Amino acid sequence: MIFRATNISKSYGSLKALSEVNLECKKGEICGLIGANGAGKSTLFKIILGLIKQDSGTIEIDSFGLKPIGGIIEKPALYEYLTAYGNLKVFSQVQGLNISTTLYKEIMVQVGLHPERKDIVKNYSLGMKQRLGLAIALLNKPDCLVLDEPFSGLDPMGIHGFHKLIKKLSSENKITILISSHIVGELAELCDTLYVLNKGRMIRSGQADELYNTSVSSFKILGRGFQKLDFFNALNPVEIQGGYLVTTNRTKISSIIKEMAIHGAEITACIPQTDLKVLFDDECL
Amino acid sequence: MIGVLKAEIYKILRQSKTLYALAAIFIIEGFVLLSAYYQGTEIIDLLLANLKDSFEFKGNLLNGNLIIYMILNSLWFHIPLILMIVVSGFLTSEYKDRTVEAVLLQPVNKITFIGSKYIVSIIFTVLVVILLAITTFLISYMIFGKGDLVVYLDGLNFYPSNEAFWRLCCAFMVGTVSMLFFSVVSLTFAVFFKDATKTWIVSAIFLVCTNLLLKIDFNNSFWNSFFYSKLIDSWQYYFYYEIPYQTIYLNIAVLIFYCLIISGIGVIVFKRRDL
Repeated sequence: MIFRATNISKSYGSLKALSEVNLECKKGEICGLIGANGAGKSTLFKIILGLIKQDSGTIEIDSFGLKPIGGIIEKPALYEYLTAYGNLKVFSQVQGLNISTTLYKEIMVQVGLHPERKDIVKNYSLGMKQRLGLAIALLNKPDCLVLDEPFSGLDPMGIHGFHKLIKKLSSENKITILISSHIVGELAELCDTLYVLNKGRMIRSGQADELYNTSVSSFKILGRGFQKLDFFNALNPVEIQGGYLVTTNRTKISSIIKEMAIHGAEITACIPQTDLKVLFDDECL
Repeated sequence: MIGVLKAEIYKILRQSKTLYALAAIFIIEGFVLLSAYYQGTEIIDLLLANLKDSFEFKGNLLNGNLIIYMILNSLWFHIPLILMIVVSGFLTSEYKDRTVEAVLLQPVNKITFIGSKYIVSIIFTVLVVILLAITTFLISYMIFGKGDLVVYLDGLNFYPSNEAFWRLCCAFMVGTVSMLFFSVVSLTFAVFFKDATKTWIVSAIFLVCTNLLLKIDFNNSFWNSFFYSKLIDSWQYYFYYEIPYQTIYLNIAVLIFYCLIISGIGVIVFKRRDL
């Protein structure tokens, strides 16, 4: 275990932001933290990163490097009047790292940014700022990265690119990554394990695919020729644009699709729909 | 610490607001010079109207030394106001852009970070006053030449040109300590308020109140001697015939002590507070 948070609690006045939260990550693993807005994700990450102090509980990091943990909290905070090089220079200097031109180019290429770009960061897109933020977080080669809502505000292309980058960092550099989002689908395909935080309490944890599957309670089936199938109509499908929404579980969906195909229906897509109520509501446990 | 200091200096040099601050100081300097150039003689004549009936004045009293003294008087309000705005901005802009979080996500001690802010603010303040002094002396002597200095301080005081020069130099040096006090206070306000506008308003109110408190007699020798507002005008003592060196040195020492206490409070609050 490279990282372990045990019984973390934090209150802001009378508001209990976190209540006895436990979380742990294995080396090289991508851990996801899902929670609705206001669940306490950023508070937990700020505690892990040492920006705020917990009222009780402990954080253990099994790393002895100069910088055991790096991170980005919400949108990347950069010196917008400086260039990418200027930002990397400032953030390197504060941690006693001398950034050479070679190191600068290496880091920029690693995060998918063009090292030759000379304009100030203010002109960068949000996706590019996220990548530069990640480059800063990677300075001094931390063993663990904490990324709070890194997809927030990114377009689909940006999200896809950032996914690939995180996967690459995890597989090639063996960096443990702890990542949060309120969008379940984003994390489910990226993470090895998932934690679900609701109203300051960790209500679920487990393998990402298993947890994701338990939250899938319906499927969006797209295609043609479904209406004439009696067995399909018996499932009480809800018509949506280009197809139907069928409420069932994962074990039954494959037989339903098989049956539909046998009866000549043309299926172009079957998309699992997560039920956030199942995932976020601890009363459903 | 050295790395953090280097980074702070690099940031200040790259920020446009540093240039705006320097430009503002030179604009004030320029206005004083212009008004002196066009209206100075009239003001001097008005000031010396009664004396001219009884005494004969030789030479030009509207000279470089008088202009330098006039610019020196911007240490009352204009220069500290600009310094307080700029210095507090060193921290409030980091809160606004959340770069303070980003820096503290790196292996940087909170005390090192805020300590370097105070050190850089002190360096910046000293450099601004030195720059103001050098440009003031150069431009004033170039345009208006040298001459005897006439100062109205509990009556008219006249100083020969050479004596005026070192009195003005000493006044700038002691004035620097007063400017340091205001810079340190504004940075501590920034620690407390985080927001730029709130910090500026509080700093401006503090400056105005300080100037008002300076004139108030507390009817108590201790408060009249050691309350902070009574210490910020020590540079004016260089324009009395008998310079009270003991008082000046004591005032400087107490003011530096205040600076240390105030910056210490800022460091402790910054360390204890969550970001």
